[in-house]
Amino acid sequence: MTTRDLPVRPTEKGGLAVRSPENVLGGLVLIALALFALWLTLDLPRGTLTTVGPAMLPQAIAVLIGACGFVLLIAGFKRRAEHGAPVWSLRGPLLVSFSIGLFAATIKGHHFGNWKTIEFGLMFAGPMAIIIGGYASSEARFRDLLLLALTLTPFCMLLFGDMLNLPIPILPRFLSEALFGGMSYKSSLRVTAAVLFTAAILVFRFTKGRSGSRIEVAKHEVRN
Amino acid sequence: MFDLLSNLFLGFGVALTFNNLFLCLLGCLVGTLVGILPGVGPIATISMLLPITFGLDPVGALIMLAGIYYGAQYGGSTTAILVNIPGEATAVVTTLDGHQMARRGQAGIALGIAAIGSFLAGTVATIVIAALAKPLTGLALVFGPAEYFSLMVMGLVFAVVLAHGSIIKAIAMILVGILLSTVGVDIETGEDRMTLGLSFLFDGIDFAVLAMGVFGIAEILRNLDNVETRDVVRQTIGRLLPGWKEFKQAAAPITRGTLLGSVLGILPGNGAVLAPFASYSLEKKISKHPERFGKGAIEGVAGPESANNAGAQTSFIPLLTLGIPPNAVMALMVGAMTIHGIVPGPLVMTSNPTLFWGMIASMWLGNLMLLIINLPMIGLWVRLLKVPYQLLFPAILMFCCIGIFSINSEPVQVLMIAFFGIVGYAISKLGFEPAPLLLGFVLGRLMEENFRRALLMSRGDMMTFIENPISAVLLAISVLLLAMALLPSLRKNRDEVFTE
Repeated sequence: MTTRDLPVRPTEKGGLAVRSPENVLGGLVLIALALFALWLTLDLPRGTLTTVGPAMLPQAIAVLIGACGFVLLIAGFKRRAEHGAPVWSLRGPLLVSFSIGLFAATIKGHHFGNWKTIEFGLMFAGPMAIIIGGYASSEARFRDLLLLALTLTPFCMLLFGDMLNLPIPILPRFLSEALFGGMSYKSSLRVTAAVLFTAAILVFRFTKGRSGSRIEVAKHEVRN
Repeated sequence: MFDLLSNLFLGFGVALTFNNLFLCLLGCLVGTLVGILPGVGPIATISMLLPITFGLDPVGALIMLAGIYYGAQYGGSTTAILVNIPGEATAVVTTLDGHQMARRGQAGIALGIAAIGSFLAGTVATIVIAALAKPLTGLALVFGPAEYFSLMVMGLVFAVVLAHGSIIKAIAMILVGILLSTVGVDIETGEDRMTLGLSFLFDGIDFAVLAMGVFGIAEILRNLDNVETRDVVRQTIGRLLPGWKEFKQAAAPITRGTLLGSVLGILPGNGAVLAPFASYSLEKKISKHPERFGKGAIEGVAGPESANNAGAQTSFIPLLTLGIPPNAVMALMVGAMTIHGIVPGPLVMTSNPTLFWGMIASMWLGNLMLLIINLPMIGLWVRLLKVPYQLLFPAILMFCCIGIFSINSEPVQVLMIAFFGIVGYAISKLGFEPAPLLLGFVLGRLMEENFRRALLMSRGDMMTFIENPISAVLLAISVLLLAMALLPSLRKNRDEVFTE
């Protein structure tokens, strides 16, 4: 899944032709960023040299960035790129950022502007991120990802929640209240982790041999 | 001299407590574990593991982070030798002869000499740091805001000159980093800048978020594009301890590499990155049989590996004494220190001597541990090299998500690593490098602060940067360097150093 649709197609003739699409695009992005920064700091005081205002440095930097962009743009028209047009892929960036977004939206109840997300906790946010993110690779296999999700999630619970004492929501609130009403955070965490590990073992046992995707571990000789 | 010994004694007193020893060991192990994974370099490793040190006390956290750093470096060389995939730029040199040695069935010797060379280099570098810390800190205390500003400019110019590829792109990345650092509420006037009215940007962009996005996530996206051809050595690893003959062959390159690395590492700007390249070309030049290089010459592993480790270690000097991170890894260290409430700089040594000397002592201990634990564990590491990437990256992804969430319990920050991941992916597709961006981001805040303070002190006179002799010299060096780098004839030379 690759796209090469850059705004201007390279032509080999002289004159005003794009010779390095990479540099032309890079230059345009830098100029756009510079203009954006200038626009954002437009109504902030620049101050004088004696009392430097908040806008002075950002604006100066933005001008310099714009200048760099301009140089790159010119270079893109004059010099040929050392390597061809960059190959982009969409599957990786889309799925990975979608899975991170999903993790952010489900890990904890939170207000995003007018939106409110439901707290699902690590028990659901973790496996979802792993499985959906895992499909960013074209070689993804569901069973492998499921096993990874069911072992890595409890491992992270124990590492971050239990050992490092960082507060991470484990379960959806209503579920944790119903199941572990009187229990402390840590013991409910341990029980959840144990359940997930058990699930991993069960999945491993009962789907064995269904996909030929065992990790090959070769033997290695080490002699001292 | 006596001072030095008593300081080191103090340091070892701190580093040898059970707790800190354990953290150092843990850092080394975890660092190696993650650093060894193909396609995960030291910067990604540290930014990924940064959150797990948050719960510790500052001394322990920094000791563990330093351990992670050496471990990641060590793991990187192992991958370079066994799989021919360099985890970062500096490991490229190790792949040349190290992997060839491995193919000839001498993987164990290559790994062994790399570890021993690194340890010896680390020992010398630790002494260099301890000896130079005091005088340099004294120097730093004379520095006013104008000198600091100029020094940082020089550091950034060094970083530009030593970056790979296009110079103009490296400059642009540093500038973008500085621009990003100005997002958030202005410290002096309290007005919010470029926040788009988003409340989570008022405090500025979180350093860990930027680092993890641009390195952790973007690296996953980049790796997914490259169809991986992993060339894990199939021969036996062979014996690990080099024999007397190999030792004699490697002794001189280790010494030269150590000296070269120690000197280059001190330079502000990423001098350490040059060390392995310089050592390799030096060894090749003075060798009686230069044709052996590239075909498995032990000097080509011993020299650069020592230089790399020495440089990696002495690059702590500008950070610890002047408070200026010379490269992206050290920028991460600044981030970690700030999170623990320590402002890196000349004052750390006097106000927090146990932290300062404890960290230095733990550097040596970390190197020793790596030597002792890692050689017997090679078998395990080899197995780790075989984990397919399609299982590796979801794990890294998950770790980044939880790690960043655990810092502030803020889902928005998790979203932001996705954003910066895409940004990092896009900029590398356009031929930019993300490391200068991170460095610019960290130095940006310090630069603005010092720039404003200097102008305040001189009542708005820009000449203060030139009238002040130290500042003038530093700026002159920067201008000279930049001019030289932009000259076409010298640019060719620079490219040759990197491609060789």
